[in-house]
Amino acid sequence: MKKYTLAVLLCGIIADAGDFSPSMQNYISTLKSEAKQANSSFVDFDAKRGEQIFTSKHIGKKGDSISCTSCHGSNLTKNGQNATTNKIIKPLAPSVNKSRLTDTKEVQKWLRRNFKDVYNREGTALEKGDVLYYIQSK
Amino acid sequence: MYKKIMIPLILISVVYADDDRWVNRGDVAPVKNAVYIKECGSCHFAYQPGLLPQRSWTKMMGNLENHFDSDASLNDATTKYLANYLKANSAEKGIEYKRSRKILQSIRPNETPLRITQTRYFVNKHNEIPKKIITQKEVGSLANCAACHTTADNGSYSERAIKIPNYGAWKDD
Repeated sequence: MKKYTLAVLLCGIIADAGDFSPSMQNYISTLKSEAKQANSSFVDFDAKRGEQIFTSKHIGKKGDSISCTSCHGSNLTKNGQNATTNKIIKPLAPSVNKSRLTDTKEVQKWLRRNFKDVYNREGTALEKGDVLYYIQSK
Repeated sequence: MYKKIMIPLILISVVYADDDRWVNRGDVAPVKNAVYIKECGSCHFAYQPGLLPQRSWTKMMGNLENHFDSDASLNDATTKYLANYLKANSAEKGIEYKRSRKILQSIRPNETPLRITQTRYFVNKHNEIPKKIITQKEVGSLANCAACHTTADNGSYSERAIKIPNYGAWKDD
């Protein structure tokens, strides 16, 4: 029981330090090797580039000008709202919403769909990693 | 003598109870499936499967990559699971529910609507609402059931439970 509590506490500290969960670290590693394969000069993902990807507007799947912020808002610690359905989206920032960026399958699902919606194509490994660094920094 | 009376009585009560349930079961069977609520309800109101016929759900689940101009794709296992859930709870499976029955009756056999809002029953029920009430930001569109139907989550669309933002209750006449 004590060990368990300690483990939970440690996890909390690690998460507060802005690091990814173990399963997410695996996913980031995979993305890194893919990014390296695509471009041998790749060093690491970058939250600043991720911010640009997240906030810039593109002609999306609907044919309208859209960005990630159209639904998630520009302050990731606040609720967003689905631009089509008006449904509230809970904050993306892990600092206020602990469940964010913890489930790799969820992360992959949303990255696949949302790049299609905003960029009308899948994101590259570099783009996905940059965006994840950006969200994780919030 | 006693037996002779009791058996028909039991039979009558069974038939009666069945009939009663058919008439008063409610509007539409509520959603209880956690996977459906999570996967479909994260982007929009978790529409009760009993609001569309089986063929509509089958068509919809066959093209989640282009789901009303949005990519709603899921992995194969989840897609299959949810397609089965929708099929097993479609309007045909809930004709003891008033709204399921009426929506179903308003769809022609050669039609496969993908939007509940385009079924004849739905259109007739909502055609007197002023457009500005629908387009205001608290509502957005007629697809946003829960914006006005305060008990929509429980599958109840009774007029008494309507509360339109910045407008209030709704009376048909």
